[in-house]
Amino acid sequence: MTSLRTLVPLLLLSLPFPAFAGTVKGTVRVPDNVRSGRMNQGYWRLENGNVPVRPNSKKPGTIVVLDGISGTHAPPPKTVSVEITGLSATPRYVVVGPGSVVEFKNTGKITHELSVPADETLMPVERLNPGTFRHQKFGVPGGYLVRCSEYPSLAISVIVVDSPYFAVVDDKGAFSIPGVPDGKANLKVWAGGRWAHEESVETNGKDLSIRIESAKNGNQPEAKESEGKEGDSEGKEPDPKGSAE
Amino acid sequence: MFLSKIWFIVVALFAGVALSIALTAPRPMVQKLEELEGQRLDRAQYATEEMLKVDAHKWIDRVARLGRDAVLAEALDSASRGSGELGVQHRTVQVRIQALLPDLAGAGIATIAAVDANGRVVARVGGEDDKSFGENIGGAELIDDALRGFLSDDVWGAGGKLLRVAGAPVLSKSRDRIVGALYVGAETGDQFAERLKKNLDVDVALLLRGKVLASTVPPEVLAGLPDMVEQHRKDIDSLKRTPALPIDVGNETYLAVAAPFPGQAALQKGYYVLIGKKPAHADLRSLLASTSARDLKWGSFPWVPLLVTILGIVAVGLFLQRLEVDGPIQRIRAELRSLVRLDGAKLNDHKYGGGFGGIARDVNAALEHVSIAMSGAHPLGSHPVGDAPDPGSAFAAESHFAQAPRPAAGPPLIPGLGAPPPPAFAPPPDAPPAAPPSFGPAPTASEEDEDAHIREVYAQFLATKKECGEPTAGLTLEKFSQRLYDNRAALMAKHDCRTVRFTVYVKEGKASLRATPIK
Repeated sequence: MTSLRTLVPLLLLSLPFPAFAGTVKGTVRVPDNVRSGRMNQGYWRLENGNVPVRPNSKKPGTIVVLDGISGTHAPPPKTVSVEITGLSATPRYVVVGPGSVVEFKNTGKITHELSVPADETLMPVERLNPGTFRHQKFGVPGGYLVRCSEYPSLAISVIVVDSPYFAVVDDKGAFSIPGVPDGKANLKVWAGGRWAHEESVETNGKDLSIRIESAKNGNQPEAKESEGKEGDSEGKEPDPKGSAE
Repeated sequence: MFLSKIWFIVVALFAGVALSIALTAPRPMVQKLEELEGQRLDRAQYATEEMLKVDAHKWIDRVARLGRDAVLAEALDSASRGSGELGVQHRTVQVRIQALLPDLAGAGIATIAAVDANGRVVARVGGEDDKSFGENIGGAELIDDALRGFLSDDVWGAGGKLLRVAGAPVLSKSRDRIVGALYVGAETGDQFAERLKKNLDVDVALLLRGKVLASTVPPEVLAGLPDMVEQHRKDIDSLKRTPALPIDVGNETYLAVAAPFPGQAALQKGYYVLIGKKPAHADLRSLLASTSARDLKWGSFPWVPLLVTILGIVAVGLFLQRLEVDGPIQRIRAELRSLVRLDGAKLNDHKYGGGFGGIARDVNAALEHVSIAMSGAHPLGSHPVGDAPDPGSAFAAESHFAQAPRPAAGPPLIPGLGAPPPPAFAPPPDAPPAAPPSFGPAPTASEEDEDAHIREVYAQFLATKKECGEPTAGLTLEKFSQRLYDNRAALMAKHDCRTVRFTVYVKEGKASLRATPIK
């Protein structure tokens, strides 16, 4: 899997009402391979040379979560349905509270074998035939990547949060989290099927710019540097082996 | 013996060193061979990566060429727009692909599929599901890439099989729109493994999700391979390969280098494993077992130096044996034979060194001891004084002892032996008291002289008796000398003389002895 070695998020946090609560806004720049929608590359990726390459139509599935804020409560549990058609899942990510249940419905013609590879005790491999569904409860806050072992490109991110302050990054990498109280918070970024970044922030209205040099794994990213201003963190992602995008 | 011992020690030391070298030298050699085998596998893995990369480009080119076919483009365009029946489009595309590629297996193709612009499968050729169509596979990264305009490759592991796939967009006839995509899946099983083996001269195994899919060695003997590879997942994640790993299979040991396939197969534990045989064990038994007749041919084995060395060692050993063992034995035997012939009194023990010198000294001591025992427990030359010869004894019956010094002049007892003896046992009153004996060296008190004197007297006495026609049977040197020593001792005591000399003479046709005390 192509790693997120140089994820460079740029966060602009603005607090219009610093005395009590406000909206936290920002921008996250994800690596090219995440934005391009090709996480697992072969040796070559060449443009056709006749027609322009279309941008990735899929949302990158990047989610920003602010947790660890005192006095907040987790979202209530609920049941969310994910529909699998062919090799596509809709939605490709869900953000729910602890104790929520995700229903995976296979409405296509292809048999899948879903599991959480990182925690197969939670969700072991189980065959999901066409026309059937599977319920899976997620009780503990965290990020879970549900993947089909037969067709690994089919992956669904399940983010279980204990805080109501989260946002899905749009196509341009922007996000907005309203009603965030002042104080310390733990900011986490889920991208590419793992926690790509995590750090403590002060939601006091100051601008923040964060540069991530590398991340050894999804749950323990390394924040090497914290500097700069909005828009100056255009880090370059090294070309994957053999690619010529 | 000293040099012989040194030689044996030196030979033993050299033999020990040679044996130690023979036993230990193969170990670093085997380690070196293992290292070289590991390097060979490293190079093979690099070559495999390059081959896979070239292969991927080749398949991309082929599928891109295939996508330029007008019939396919038109059918996929129609399917993408939703015009016409999908079943008709399915048959059109399938027939067209079969016409373009009539021999899929010969081309190494496992499957080809065409999808419309929405990611819906229009047709498949090859594989087990070539009759199914209509499902959406647009979620596959390679298909999604192709529908966006990319030509790319991937490795899939689905349905228990590995497929190296290449995808390309299919453009409209006007070449201004993407109307679908094609992907081709290349066989990545037994044929692929055999091709790798042929090109790289290493055995190959293909793994997917913890199982051996294909192998050029029997899969049952590689049962532990998936677990072993999985244990080195960190190496694979960081280095994209494992180090050379030893695999014990029965009595054989192999070395294996595993590397992940690119693309999404890497998420499915899809690996290719290159396997080389580990060199034989370094123990003596294995070395001998692996020795062939060719190794022992004249041109391969240094027989001549080995034989020359062995002969040289034996020759030096024999030479030293002769110098220090056989030679002294022969000399000491010759001396002993001389002693038997009464040519000497004792061995020249100073001529011998080491153990043989000790033997010679021991022999001399034994001779002396025997002499003492035969002479009444007294050493020669120190007999106690005894009685005069008894004329009535057996010895005296044959001889007569003169108790007085023999006269200085007179007829010899035996021609050539000196003056004749005076009358038996009665020396003439006017005779000189201490005339020397008529034969033999000047008397001394030493044992050697006494012994020599008695042997001379015995020889003369024996010869005289034969001349006189007397029988000599039973007259041995031992008895004769014992008798003379007894008489000598008695006379010395009686006359208080230093020694006694005996002379032989003929009396009344018989051999007789005369004793002459020497002051």
